[in-house]
Amino acid sequence: MDFQAPRQRLFALSLIIAITTGILLGRLWQIQVLQGSAYLRQSEENRIRDYVLIAPRGIVYDRKGRPLVTNRPSFTVAILPLELRKPAEVMATLAPMLGMTTGEIRARIESGRARLFEPVRVKRDVGTRVVAMIEENRMDLPGVIILAEPVRHYLHGKMTAHVMGYIGEIDEDELKARKSERYKLGDLIGKSGVERKYEAALRGTDGRLRMEVDALGRPLRVMGRVAAVSGRSIVLSLDLDVQRAAFEALQGSGLPSGAVVAMDPRNGELLAMVSTPSFDPNLFATGISPKAWEGLVRHPLRPLLNRAAGTAFEPGSVFKLVTATAALERGIVTRHSTFHAPGYFRLGRWVFHDLKAWGTVNFITGIANSINVVFYTLGHRLGGESLALYAKMLGLGEVTNIDLTAEVSGTIPSPSTKMQLVGEPWYPGDSVNMSIGQGAVTATPLQVARMVSVIANRGTLYQPRVLLMMRDRDGTARRTGPVLQGRVTLKASTFDVLHEGMQAAVLRGSGRAAAINGVAIAGKTGSAENPRGKPHAWFAGFAPARAPTVVVVAFVEHGFRGGIASAPIARKVFLAALRETPDRRAGPHQIAQRTPHVIAEPRQ
Amino acid sequence: MSARLLRYVDWVLLGTTLALMTFGGLMIYSATQSTGDPLGFVKVRVLHALIGLALLVVAAAVDYQAIGRAWRPVLGGAMFLLVVVMLVGITTMGSQRWIPLGPLGGFQPSELAKLALIIALARNLDAHPDLESWRAVIPVLLIAAVPVGLIVEQPDLGTAMVLVAITATMLFAAGAPRRIMLALGGATLAGVPVLWQMLHEYQRRRLIVFIDPGLDPQGAGYALIQSKIAMGSGQLFGKGLLHGTQNLLNFIPEQHTDFIFTVVGEELGFLGAMIVLALFAIWLWRGMTIAYLAKDRLGMVMAVGIVSMIAFHVVVNIGMTVGLMPITGIPLPFISHGGSALVVMLMATGVLLGIGMRRKKILF
Repeated sequence: MDFQAPRQRLFALSLIIAITTGILLGRLWQIQVLQGSAYLRQSEENRIRDYVLIAPRGIVYDRKGRPLVTNRPSFTVAILPLELRKPAEVMATLAPMLGMTTGEIRARIESGRARLFEPVRVKRDVGTRVVAMIEENRMDLPGVIILAEPVRHYLHGKMTAHVMGYIGEIDEDELKARKSERYKLGDLIGKSGVERKYEAALRGTDGRLRMEVDALGRPLRVMGRVAAVSGRSIVLSLDLDVQRAAFEALQGSGLPSGAVVAMDPRNGELLAMVSTPSFDPNLFATGISPKAWEGLVRHPLRPLLNRAAGTAFEPGSVFKLVTATAALERGIVTRHSTFHAPGYFRLGRWVFHDLKAWGTVNFITGIANSINVVFYTLGHRLGGESLALYAKMLGLGEVTNIDLTAEVSGTIPSPSTKMQLVGEPWYPGDSVNMSIGQGAVTATPLQVARMVSVIANRGTLYQPRVLLMMRDRDGTARRTGPVLQGRVTLKASTFDVLHEGMQAAVLRGSGRAAAINGVAIAGKTGSAENPRGKPHAWFAGFAPARAPTVVVVAFVEHGFRGGIASAPIARKVFLAALRETPDRRAGPHQIAQRTPHVIAEPRQ
Repeated sequence: MSARLLRYVDWVLLGTTLALMTFGGLMIYSATQSTGDPLGFVKVRVLHALIGLALLVVAAAVDYQAIGRAWRPVLGGAMFLLVVVMLVGITTMGSQRWIPLGPLGGFQPSELAKLALIIALARNLDAHPDLESWRAVIPVLLIAAVPVGLIVEQPDLGTAMVLVAITATMLFAAGAPRRIMLALGGATLAGVPVLWQMLHEYQRRRLIVFIDPGLDPQGAGYALIQSKIAMGSGQLFGKGLLHGTQNLLNFIPEQHTDFIFTVVGEELGFLGAMIVLALFAIWLWRGMTIAYLAKDRLGMVMAVGIVSMIAFHVVVNIGMTVGLMPITGIPLPFISHGGSALVVMLMATGVLLGIGMRRKKILF
């Protein structure tokens, strides 16, 4: 008998096989053909990593082409949030290597959650030893990567800190404000000073590096590269030699806080701007630690404050230049006027004091020895409105618009504003007080420098500037010209008397400590009483007196006597500034080809 | 071997087997590129294939009636090896499956158990043609229970599932009545919770993430997600042989063994996957034809057992790569790297060919 296979059952089995094969085929069609492009994109995302190549910021030079800030290579430890497989273990391994706590690392990662594909920078500028440790433990650190990035390097640290400013990671407000400029979280941005003011030029265009990686995130090969474009270089008007002389002289004063401004009265270019105590901007270049930041912010003397422009002080006797100008212009006084200076000035039942009894003096001696009674007399006759008017003509009471951040305007009181602000009338004694720069008068060293420049150049108000030259996007260098802010039309005789009086001050008066043999220097000292401590010491002057090329303002907070604390500082700055030929306008390229000649100090 | 036997060799089945095997060698080469020594893998593969082909010829030459009669030593030997592996075997992924064999790699007795069970079941189902009562069915179930129990103990859930599926299919082909089949199906379902308790933690995770791979995208769900990405990204024509990025960059674990089909899908696309699927379809169609034309009940049931084994492997393996099946360690027949599976599959093919060679005379 022949065996007969169970036809129906075998057919049923065949049908089951056919149907399941059909289901598989349908599924293959679905994911490979219908959804294929979506899966292809996922497989590309799997294997391709785009890294940002941080563009180096532009280099900043001094007027003679010496770099003030450059960039140095560094390593940054970063985490790719998407590839962080075992966060707890990775953080525990990483923390001791970086000298951080796992909490700090976690906080960094949380801050970068918004952009999953961007590396979150955990620690910038780690040493090669840390890099080696991380590479050795790569298997235990999935998602941790090392980025080679340029780090801002300020060659002169504290010396140029307040002009250069500093950088830091962009905060949320800045990010919102600059959305259109393609900033993103974690970017470094200028926070103050030149770094902030010229952010647009200094900032480069980041590049991208496209890498193929394997399943462990290890880079295998470079697939594409868009090179980073460096930021544009800029040249500042600062002269490093003058800056250094100012910084060292100020530090050598023995007092912790002060400021120096050196300015070319012919165009407003700043040759030096120094403020003490200072800070090291390099601390900010890699993201300042909270502890260091606390230290700077809590410091009683506020090192971040730029005392040259960021805060205003009682000008004291330096303000007598305003009183003198007003009196000369109003015809109240001439070069030959004489005064009886008994050591006090009586106004009704009020008595205003002087250092000593001077006897009978002329106006030049009054300026030279800063005789209070002379200026009390003039101030009383001029009145507050006139003093305020001339103070404003000479640029006090309003910002100078220097191309730096955080500038204040100072205060010039007047009878009309006093009523508005304090609700009290202007007493005649207020005018007397104001005539010697006391009372509510305040000014920044920078404003004083601009005022003295107007006197030095006989009537032109230039905007103080630190930018000398900038490269356009196409690479051509563009020199910035002087910015004229106004003309102060005074009688030639007024300038003559001011110049003569200020020269006398240095030659035989209160500013003798600023004198340099062979150079005619004009100057005015100030010892400004203030409610916070000893008087502030001021010296403001220019040189050479006949054809001024430099204005110097030296200010020592609570320095007591301008002639003693500040005039020697100014002297050193003058020496440094005048060591060069008077014409500084040639710019770095021509300057390099020129042999500087040193001003000799002839014996007398 | 007589001329009559040679006349009925199913050359299509043999040709399909060789084609799948060669194709597998190519895929293994591609899948092991990143190891730096893909040729080494291919050489081992050729060695396995030669051993397997020799055993295929032997299995075809020996009368399957004789093979059936030897079911006791065959099943007993396989069970003995399963016990040996539990005592001395190499542990991978938390289970003991391997007996080291020097240059040949490791031997996996669980693969052999599949064929041994088919032979034993075929013989016993043939000996009890009347399956209407439980008294006839239960001895058969007891025979299956021994290897299933040993393999679950390893534990190797995938292989145990294959054995259960083979047993069910053979019972069905042998004529077990519908009520018995339904009762057995119900009993299996009822046993699921018990089985769940017996599973290892990693096995449970695999099953859970099969429902929702997103639960653990970097852990248990990783392979499932990455294999779908590999398959899908191949699109219609694939990324080109040796050019699969998911493959080359090691995004898929076990890409030369259990997940080798993802290399096919990624590098050769839907077209390549369809060709492989078509080759298997041809193979299974020839196998069913052999079962249908078998000279006797033993040959028919044995052929169905072999066909169901291959079919189950193909469906579960490919289903796993496209996210239709949970991840189990079941290789793709003739293609996955792995000597024991290849040799056993070739032996089974030999037995199948032998059944075909001894088929009924076709009356014209």
